[in-house]
Amino acid sequence: MKSTHIQHLFNRIGFGITPKELKRLSKKSKHEIVDEIFSNSKNTTPVEVDLSFLKDLKPGDLKDREKRQEIQKIGRKKVNDFSIAWMDRIFNPKEILREKMTLFWANHFVCQNKNILFIQNYNNKLRENALGNFRNFTKTVSKEAAMLGYLNNKQNKKKSPNENFARELMELFTLGQGNYTETDIKESARAFTGYNHNYYAEFVMKKKHHDENNKTFFGKTGNFNGDDIIDIILEEKQCARYISEKIYSYFVNENINKNHVEEMTNLFYKDYNIEKLMRFVLLSDWFYNSENIGTKIKSPMEFLAGINTIIPYNFEKEKQVLLVQRLLGQVLMKPPNVAGWQTGRNWIDSNTLVRRLRLPSILLNNAEITYSDTGDEETMITDLKSKRLKRKAIIKTKVDWNSFEENYKKIDNKSLITHVLQSKINPGTEKILLENIDIPKKDFCIQLMSTPEYQLC
Amino acid sequence: MKRRDFLKQTTFASGMFFVPQFLKAFEQIPTKTFGNKKVVIIQLKGGNDGLNTIVPFRNDIYYQQRKNIALKENELLKVSDEFGFHKSLKSLQNLYDKGFVSIINNVGYPNPNLSHFRSTDIWQTASDSNEYLQNGWVGRYLDYTKANPTKAIEVDESLSLLLKGKTQNGLAVTDSKTLYNSLREPFYKNVIESQSNAHLSEHNLGYLYNTMIDAKSSAKYIFEKTKVKSASNDYPKNVFGKQLKTISQFINSGLDTQVFYAGLSGFDTHANQQNSQERLLKTYAESMEVFVEDLQKNNNFDDVLILTFSEFGRRVKQNESQGTDHGTANNVFVIGKNLKKQGMYNNLPNLSDLDANGNLKHEIDFREIYATILDKWLQVDDTAILNKQFSKLDLV
Repeated sequence: MKSTHIQHLFNRIGFGITPKELKRLSKKSKHEIVDEIFSNSKNTTPVEVDLSFLKDLKPGDLKDREKRQEIQKIGRKKVNDFSIAWMDRIFNPKEILREKMTLFWANHFVCQNKNILFIQNYNNKLRENALGNFRNFTKTVSKEAAMLGYLNNKQNKKKSPNENFARELMELFTLGQGNYTETDIKESARAFTGYNHNYYAEFVMKKKHHDENNKTFFGKTGNFNGDDIIDIILEEKQCARYISEKIYSYFVNENINKNHVEEMTNLFYKDYNIEKLMRFVLLSDWFYNSENIGTKIKSPMEFLAGINTIIPYNFEKEKQVLLVQRLLGQVLMKPPNVAGWQTGRNWIDSNTLVRRLRLPSILLNNAEITYSDTGDEETMITDLKSKRLKRKAIIKTKVDWNSFEENYKKIDNKSLITHVLQSKINPGTEKILLENIDIPKKDFCIQLMSTPEYQLC
Repeated sequence: MKRRDFLKQTTFASGMFFVPQFLKAFEQIPTKTFGNKKVVIIQLKGGNDGLNTIVPFRNDIYYQQRKNIALKENELLKVSDEFGFHKSLKSLQNLYDKGFVSIINNVGYPNPNLSHFRSTDIWQTASDSNEYLQNGWVGRYLDYTKANPTKAIEVDESLSLLLKGKTQNGLAVTDSKTLYNSLREPFYKNVIESQSNAHLSEHNLGYLYNTMIDAKSSAKYIFEKTKVKSASNDYPKNVFGKQLKTISQFINSGLDTQVFYAGLSGFDTHANQQNSQERLLKTYAESMEVFVEDLQKNNNFDDVLILTFSEFGRRVKQNESQGTDHGTANNVFVIGKNLKKQGMYNNLPNLSDLDANGNLKHEIDFREIYATILDKWLQVDDTAILNKQFSKLDLV
């Protein structure tokens, strides 16, 4: 397989590729490589933080105000720990495709929860189902404690239905805007009444709050429960199309090619098998078309992890992981809202672009960064109290330059360009780069990473 | 070489870089001025419950539908025999009493969408509810006036659809100094200066280069122009207060910015609405009062119109979680010096004439407000910017 195609493949299913791996794989065929990718992602390794603080707690403890506040405080800290642990996983993935898909699904089945147990379970359910069956996946999500809280479904009762989950289920998770009516929402909300969970995050069906009457949904009438609703939704081909479009725009190109998506839809509609769908995409010829290579704007995670693939680094102060995420507009455990992060060009505005351009030298040279602190305004209105609104920080990292020197020993600065940049290069910038081709390799590499071109993969 | 010195050490020493035509054009041709009026747009994000903001305490239906969360008559700041402000809105009432506020009731649009994101998009793009636009009405105002990005500023870390045009985006700024300093590094200077505009329109790469060039010119302008004007210290010490303080500094320094956008989040009150709404409305009202005083002190209030909206109101009937679900029509506040119709602009919502979902019906299309602002205040062709003709209100 051609080197540029292998690079492209690994940019999209992971976070780039080292020269050594590239060399090893270049002797193999497309089928062999894709097979290897899937077999490497067969297992699921959960991301976990230490939850021993929960061991001695009983449900009754939450009734005591002081105790509750203390537990919530530890919980919030643990959610941050989880965020850091997840990013560490993204930097050192065991199952590359599975981890990339976990990121994808986290921006599809968007959820946020301050309860560490709930959100850790949820995140690992995404990981577990990332390449599984979309039907089971959706049903699982509908019963997760984190989601029951996030979209108010546990407040959804026969006497007073709450439509939040039912609406987003169709609008964002399965069908997309405009493919259902307000009546469909009302009727399906009734089917999800009584869904709840216990203290241990396990799903509980509260019978007395569940509406046992008939519901009429998408032309069918019956005493449906939530699972039935999901089954009925999945009978709509639009559901397969909606998911295929999302996968296409995340892994292939934000400019949708209708023919390609239709091929995906036809395949996916048969059994909603995510692995089969992904295999089809990665084996297709069009995945490797030139208009799909080096044209996607990296997400902040792809950007940060991509640097790490070339020059391994890690943050000395864990908190700064979260700071950098925030400055680039993607804090892992804090999606902006249930629609998730807007991707592509939406990642880039004057501020985020400037930060991205400077970040390689900041991360790799321990330079200072100034930022204004807008706090967690989306989520924590209770924290609106006095805060310093402008801060400075020196980002402290440990950079493994030896590893870089070793990995890129045989690669001169000229060929480093194609190793680091997949996009076409603006002639003016190329000229500057070539004029400086003699500077030390490390510096040249940082320079390549400080270009607009590096924002693309 | 010390690693830290990298950027300075690797300056591309060369005098041969030319300033591209694009940048020259940007710097030399003064943009045509379309008046010096300014608009400050505030979004109460999440869907503010308008019925518990401007409370119709004479209306029995209000109390029947909201058994636990209705506000009692004696808790309100009464304005007339019919309605009162939420008790957190003391500061707004002060402005109201001076004749600086106009409250427009029942603002919405046909076939309302109850999703936050979609409805926010609709308000920001001024589209029909079944129409998907990729640019905002302020962005199209920038296109129309061929303005610099600095003409529209969002005080936030990232840019909303509202300020994105077809050919021109506004700017997201929280701190112009940081932005300015960041792009003074020689490397970026050279990268920017070595561009010819031939490739600037090319797909994503062109977008990236354009954004970089815009960022540099704009940051320089804002930074150099913003004098350290002393703003009032009375702004609430939180993000929203800080945003308004920044806007006041920009306006009082004489920046050419015509549209500002800021937002206050947290109004999605599905459960336990009372406490959070109380806190949020207080933050909103107090910030607005300080802001107006700040503008008055600097003799700038005459030229500023402040528009406050929320992507939708809440349903008339409360839910069982002491909260309210997504609704439709809502009230909009307009704050300014010489309003044509001070106080209540139109009738309070009719709680007995609801749509099939139990939601308020709209009476005024929100785009009529935009059309009025564009036509009467900013004095541009509103139809060209809104893509449609809307009747105007008797507002300014």
